[in-house]
Amino acid sequence: MSISRRSLPGRRDAGQKRVMVIATAVTVAFLVLVGQLWYLQVLEGGRFLDASDKNRIRVRPIAAPRGILFDRHGTPLVDNRPAFTLSLIPRELPRDVESRDAVLGRVASLLHIPYQDLTDAVAKVQPDSLLPVRVRRSLTLADVAKVEEWKLELPGVITEVEPQRVYPTSRFAAHLLGYVREANDEQLKQGRYRRGDMVGQSGLERLLDEYLRGQDGGERIEVDAMGRPVRRVQQTEPHAGAQVITTVDRGIQEAAERAMEGLAGAVVVMDPRSGDVLAMVSTPAFEIDRFTGTIERDAWLRVVQDPNFPLLNRTIQTQYAPGSVFKILVAAAGLQEGSLTPLDRTHCNGEFHLGTATFKDWKDGGHGTVDLHNAIAQSCNIFFYEAGLKIGGAAIVRYASAFGFGQPTTIDLPGEKAGLLPRPQAARGRQGRTYPPGETVNMSIGQGTVLVTPMQVARFMAAIANGGVLWRPRLVQRVERLDRVVWSDPGQVAGHVELSPVVWAFLRRSLWAVVNEGGTGVAARIPGLDIAGKTGTAQMVAKSKAEKGQDHAWFASFAPAKAPEVVVVVIVERGGKGGQVAAPIARKILNAIFFERVASVEIAG
Amino acid sequence: MLRIDRRLLQNVDWLLLALAFGLVVMSTVTLTSLHVGRAGGSVVLRQILWFVIGLVVMVLLASLDYRRLVRAAPALYLLGLIGLAAVFALGRTVSGARRWVVLGPLSVQPSEIFKVCFLLMAVWAITSRWAQPVGKLTLVLTLPIVAVPIVLIIKQPDLGTALLLVPLLVILLVGAGMRFKLLAGLALAGLGALPLAWLVLKEYQRERILVFLDPFRDPLGSAYNVIQAKIAIGSGQLLGKGVAGATQSRLAFLPERHTDFIFAVFAEMWGFVGCLVLLLCYVLLLLRGFDIAATAREPVGRLVALGATSLFAAQVLINVGMVTGLLPVVGIPLPLMSYGGSSMVASFMTLGLLLSVRMRQFQ
Repeated sequence: MSISRRSLPGRRDAGQKRVMVIATAVTVAFLVLVGQLWYLQVLEGGRFLDASDKNRIRVRPIAAPRGILFDRHGTPLVDNRPAFTLSLIPRELPRDVESRDAVLGRVASLLHIPYQDLTDAVAKVQPDSLLPVRVRRSLTLADVAKVEEWKLELPGVITEVEPQRVYPTSRFAAHLLGYVREANDEQLKQGRYRRGDMVGQSGLERLLDEYLRGQDGGERIEVDAMGRPVRRVQQTEPHAGAQVITTVDRGIQEAAERAMEGLAGAVVVMDPRSGDVLAMVSTPAFEIDRFTGTIERDAWLRVVQDPNFPLLNRTIQTQYAPGSVFKILVAAAGLQEGSLTPLDRTHCNGEFHLGTATFKDWKDGGHGTVDLHNAIAQSCNIFFYEAGLKIGGAAIVRYASAFGFGQPTTIDLPGEKAGLLPRPQAARGRQGRTYPPGETVNMSIGQGTVLVTPMQVARFMAAIANGGVLWRPRLVQRVERLDRVVWSDPGQVAGHVELSPVVWAFLRRSLWAVVNEGGTGVAARIPGLDIAGKTGTAQMVAKSKAEKGQDHAWFASFAPAKAPEVVVVVIVERGGKGGQVAAPIARKILNAIFFERVASVEIAG
Repeated sequence: MLRIDRRLLQNVDWLLLALAFGLVVMSTVTLTSLHVGRAGGSVVLRQILWFVIGLVVMVLLASLDYRRLVRAAPALYLLGLIGLAAVFALGRTVSGARRWVVLGPLSVQPSEIFKVCFLLMAVWAITSRWAQPVGKLTLVLTLPIVAVPIVLIIKQPDLGTALLLVPLLVILLVGAGMRFKLLAGLALAGLGALPLAWLVLKEYQRERILVFLDPFRDPLGSAYNVIQAKIAIGSGQLLGKGVAGATQSRLAFLPERHTDFIFAVFAEMWGFVGCLVLLLCYVLLLLRGFDIAATAREPVGRLVALGATSLFAAQVLINVGMVTGLLPVVGIPLPLMSYGGSSMVASFMTLGLLLSVRMRQFQ
């Protein structure tokens, strides 16, 4: 005790003692404080130091721009542009529920966002999280202005700028590219994505998501207790996603989309020399740009429940009867097997009898006397009924198989259908399995249980055009990261079909005649360009009167006939006759490819 | 009145003053490092201004004979009560409490100044001839003196200050020679009244007490202060992080960091060693004050010195106790360290009283 004894000993009365008692008590209390400080600072100091480090450093991810998809000439098919995102910072929202709800209510009415969406978004994360929770993407400038204007009334509500996909047009190459959306709950469960990550959900965006996504950067920022950034401690730059060079030609893709406007169906444009897919169109398409932002539930339902199935990629996911296009294959099989010669003639009177059944030609009264060349050019059914029976179902199916029908093309897109070829059936009184004659007759004109996808037809036409090389359709040439190729597809031959050169020549000559010698495909004719092709009209089994006569119109073609550079396959659902509906569309596309300079224009936005 | 006697000057307690200045310097350094911006000049400049005002008040009080002050106590006490009541009429509300009266550019917290008035009044009552000898009658006389202001202050609400008055009175009674048995009875009665007090408390005050009992009850709400203060203090470790490294404080994780929680800031910057120095300053200052009480010539001087020292001690102990998590959070500033003009002036008033007693020790 440092209390001095200056006062005389005799004056140390009771009062003085009491002061000393109190002074002692105070000193002891101070010792307790020192003890507590020893505990906090020396014994537990390390733990609290960790806590204080965590306290001030926040990691804020910076979204890496998604890689860009280019066409074969280096024109972007899809690009990124900065877009405004509305986010909530849970930690900065008012603490008490009432004023928090008031803020959310204000946001909801200001931007016409369902209130429920906002509360749901906040409920999904920790209430003290400083990471922004995105509630709406692609805000309009007017929305951003509103938020800024009301800033003071909206604590914890911010607008951020993030890269977002932008497309040349609303539905541009929707099925090919695929849409990008925030990772859904299921994807989050897989653990590969974090909440808010943009993930390719279909098409090439999904296939190449790994490459396109890039590596998010991060900012380590010192923030104060209010979450306000004080300074940036460290920043790791985001690495943009890899660039994808596709095989698509943007000009052709656009021309094909224009040609199909308002129709349901599909177009495949392929380079028969490499198997490169130059255009892939499936209509009706979905609005790819709307899928990328925030889509309202009912808009989504409208797309999913649309009777025209806009989400379906008809080039590979829909199977059609090939109709008369299949006659090319039957002719090839017959000629190669020797059961058919160019000199065979048949008199066509419009009807063909097999037992008690009658098969009709599409032309009332028939074509008169036709040889194989004319039968192809005029698409005479009666000739092919007879030819089919001569060749036999088994041989036709064998050749169809060799040309890749009945099996997926293994193109780089998910969900591809295999198509269907007739199977031999066990018949009474016979050994093994064979094709009943009725089946064979139907098969000969591409009806019955033959189903193909437009992509398979394109590959088949390419094989006819290039003399038997069956390509695996190629969509992606390579993936580049900083000029380094990280993935490439050199093109792959899936098979060879060996036919004698005379057969190839005959087929090409006949197909040329379809368009240029008054055949069924005359509507595709372009003076100055040798187009070879085959029309097809796939009959629908009419379920009702309304559906009657609504056949699928095919036109499968290549050009120039002597040295083919492109294959164009068109199918229009419920379009009617192939020669009347599909051929003019192919004509438009071919015209664009060869005569209009399909200039690759800059992407808007 | 302002006759300066040479003998008086000889007895100025320079050690006491030196310790007080040392604390003010530490406060200024700490506040400077915080860069707390505020309209009308920085906190530091204001604190220095208040320091000067405090010095003037201290010199004034020291030059006055404390006995005359005690004689004038009833009047001062009444003035103090009027000041407390004025808060309700003219008060300014800061974070839910009306504790301030705005006087021109300055806002004054009457409850801070009232503590000194109360001290003088209590001494006056205890040493008055009606209260002799010190016993039950003294209790009966002094209870209304403490009850009226407590009701007024709790209404503001300023629980901390209200709670200070009771121990201050008890210490004065002890110093005046009241028997411990009687005090024990009083303490029991006080305990019995605790449930009643719970009913009087405001919601946030109850929450603070609950949080004290269980800090993780609401880590982002009421317990936030306590947790952040503990992190700040603990992370200072033995030697502290220095001014630049004290992120806890500088990044404003710590609420009330320039006022009630300034100790946590200091602890983060200077560590355990710095805290020892700071607390040593306080202990020396307080022991000096107790020494003045012990060596006072007559009961009034002893009680004034004892009361002034105890008031100071109680504030330091409660503040550091609450910031280090030993006591529930009650809004009591750390004398001479926390930013706040009224608190600064009140602290210098107690110092002035101590000086006054010391200087007249041999008269």
